[in-house]
Amino acid sequence: MTRSAYLRRQKEMGRRLFGVFPAQYPREIFWAMNAIPVEIWDPPLETVNANAHLQPYICSVVRSGLELILQGKARMLDGFLFPHTCDSIQNLASIVNDYLGLEIPCCFFYHPKAPFGKGSRDYYLSQLKSLTGELEKLFEPVDPHELKRRVGQGMDMQKRLADAYELRRMGALAVSNTSFYRNVRLAEYLHPDDFVSGFETFLAVSKGENSKGPAIILSGILPHPEILHLLDQQGVRVVDDDLLNCNRRMPLTLGRAQDPYEILVENYFAMPPCPTRGSPIQDRIDFMMDKVRKSDAQGIIFCGIKFCEPEWFDVPQMVAAAKDAGMKILLLDLEVNQPLSGQLATRVEAFVEMLT
Amino acid sequence: MPLAKRLSYHVMKDLGAPLVMGLAAKSKKKRPASTRSPFGPRLKCAVRLKEIMTRHYFLARYAKGAKPVAWVTSGAPVELLRAFDFYTIYPENHGALCGAQRLGPEYCGIAEDHGYHQDLCSYARIDLGHALSGKTPVGKLPQPDLLFASNNICQTVLYWYRVLAHRLKVPLLLFDTPYNFKDIRREDIHYMVDQLKEMIPVLEEVSGNDFNEETFSRVIHSAKDASLAWGQILETMQHKPAPMTIFDAFVHLAPIVSLRGLPVALEYYQTLLAELRDRIDQGIGAIRDERKRLMWDNIAIWYKVRDFSNLFAERGMNFVTATYTNAWAETSSHMDVEKPFESMARTYAQVILNNSLNHRLELMERLIKDYQVDGLVIHSARSCKPYSVGQYDLRRILMDRLEIPSVIIEADITDFRAFSEEQTRTRLEAFFETLEASF
Repeated sequence: MTRSAYLRRQKEMGRRLFGVFPAQYPREIFWAMNAIPVEIWDPPLETVNANAHLQPYICSVVRSGLELILQGKARMLDGFLFPHTCDSIQNLASIVNDYLGLEIPCCFFYHPKAPFGKGSRDYYLSQLKSLTGELEKLFEPVDPHELKRRVGQGMDMQKRLADAYELRRMGALAVSNTSFYRNVRLAEYLHPDDFVSGFETFLAVSKGENSKGPAIILSGILPHPEILHLLDQQGVRVVDDDLLNCNRRMPLTLGRAQDPYEILVENYFAMPPCPTRGSPIQDRIDFMMDKVRKSDAQGIIFCGIKFCEPEWFDVPQMVAAAKDAGMKILLLDLEVNQPLSGQLATRVEAFVEMLT
Repeated sequence: MPLAKRLSYHVMKDLGAPLVMGLAAKSKKKRPASTRSPFGPRLKCAVRLKEIMTRHYFLARYAKGAKPVAWVTSGAPVELLRAFDFYTIYPENHGALCGAQRLGPEYCGIAEDHGYHQDLCSYARIDLGHALSGKTPVGKLPQPDLLFASNNICQTVLYWYRVLAHRLKVPLLLFDTPYNFKDIRREDIHYMVDQLKEMIPVLEEVSGNDFNEETFSRVIHSAKDASLAWGQILETMQHKPAPMTIFDAFVHLAPIVSLRGLPVALEYYQTLLAELRDRIDQGIGAIRDERKRLMWDNIAIWYKVRDFSNLFAERGMNFVTATYTNAWAETSSHMDVEKPFESMARTYAQVILNNSLNHRLELMERLIKDYQVDGLVIHSARSCKPYSVGQYDLRRILMDRLEIPSVIIEADITDFRAFSEEQTRTRLEAFFETLEASF
């Protein structure tokens, strides 16, 4: 079933749909209100209308997200959430809320930035409750038992994702790169009941020895489907990633508190290092190099998105550290939905040849 | 701090700096004002401003080891650092200075050679270019003991200062100011006050000085007075003809950015304000024939300030207000010595770029009315996304509501590789025609 067909079905079932822009937010609160957060990263649309609102130097994630709204393809949504990820998303929130004349409500979610002090935890907790309050105004009061159940389900989901990453790293997941990320990214819009059962099946049928090809790690914002396909064709295994929309949103340890909000707080502060949360660059380097050490990766592909400041400030330091560790490096400056040009394909192929 | 370094600093401060300033003033040849110039008499204060800023950068060479040194973002609550006697360097101000001297591409290029993408903010690339090469037109900048950033102006400064912290191995203090999607909230204030208080032990350790709340309050008092004076200076441009132009203001804002909280900033602005009021009394305008009054949106295009100043003045067009220069006056009324921490939070979290676009729209409407603005020039700055994203919508709404002619210039603050002279000229010519036809 396609994403839009699935979402229409959910709507028919009485579930609310909330369009969520990247990247960090508490999806469990939505689930507890019978709402599905539908993440907007890379809608496959040709940009036509968004150019009237955004300058050419704004990234394609923001541009394609706005295009989705302007083409009327977000009409079935009951609201939008804009987490405070970067300057462009911050201002996009203002444009959508104030200037497009939409009748769809917009919420904003501010998450504290590192270095985290004592007040950061309290503040994040207050933001979680404030978001709950805003959603309650739109829907109905949250049922504390349902919230607890959904937070538990979120932990279960994270555990299964972590298992999948571990199995892949160990070479014990016989799936293509394309299939792996297609399944992981279902978490961006599936209801957790559907995701957990579906992902369980995926893991069950996928267990097995992976083909023996050169191993790499992906870094950047999100996986580019055509690059994954090309890597599959070349017999290259992606063994790990620190992509913003994948592994960088998986807590390194899961919360243990009793209170569901406290668990969400623990999970936020246990997220991997990320520039969108202000983490020190050395932490991010250590996070990436730990992946290198724990795998048989020979190279790293940095899948940057053109004009993405949070990512491109970090890249030179990460590249230097990876090179020092003897890694082969490929830097790609991409746009979402950009077709893979011959030149780009040649660069990827040449990189793979270096690995072999 | 080592005694020898302190002695050297004080000798330079009391003897060296005045000597160098005196020599510089003597060597400066004064050009006679051309009778054909579209400009009125030059501001007398400009000489004093040059002295102050030259002295600031001159003394910076001797600051390391004599005083704790911090590199600070333009929107950070520097008042707290002043209470610990930090010598503060503003990489954004240094970037603007490099930009005005057309050094942007050269310094950015150094950063780019080290892997920093050409699409990143050019202030950041200039600063990284300087950090990687030591190159600067001001002789030498002292290495920081501390980095102090606030994301109230952009998230870019956070990414940029993280890189500096990583490379220079110095602590980074971030003043995290939640973005005001709507109104500022009580929990936001608490969060920010907590952060400021948590900074004190770090500042004590880095500076070797104890925190003194009285000193902090005194600094806030001075900063508030200077900011209010700066606001009054800008307000003089409501007068017709305006006694200065916004291009003057771009230059004269240096002390409020870099020396805020120090007595010299307040003294300077009091002098400048007196001069401007005197010009108003005498009917002296910044340009001889002020026919049209304009507003500027966004940071200056530093390498084009002089060219644009001439281009517009020749047509009798004067920029009398800007959202950018207003930023250091807009929230100063929140400063309160009775509530130093809370007032710092309120002041710095409510600056223009930390608010929704509607806030800027209201501000622009107010400025257009108060300054009797005839036209609007919008700089779409490639380097500054929080200032630029949304400008297309703001322009459309302002044109709809106020029928005000406007033009968007696609450029960059310091990197003139992103500037097309021909395209800009074409757009401006069309704007001039519309503006002339609008009356």
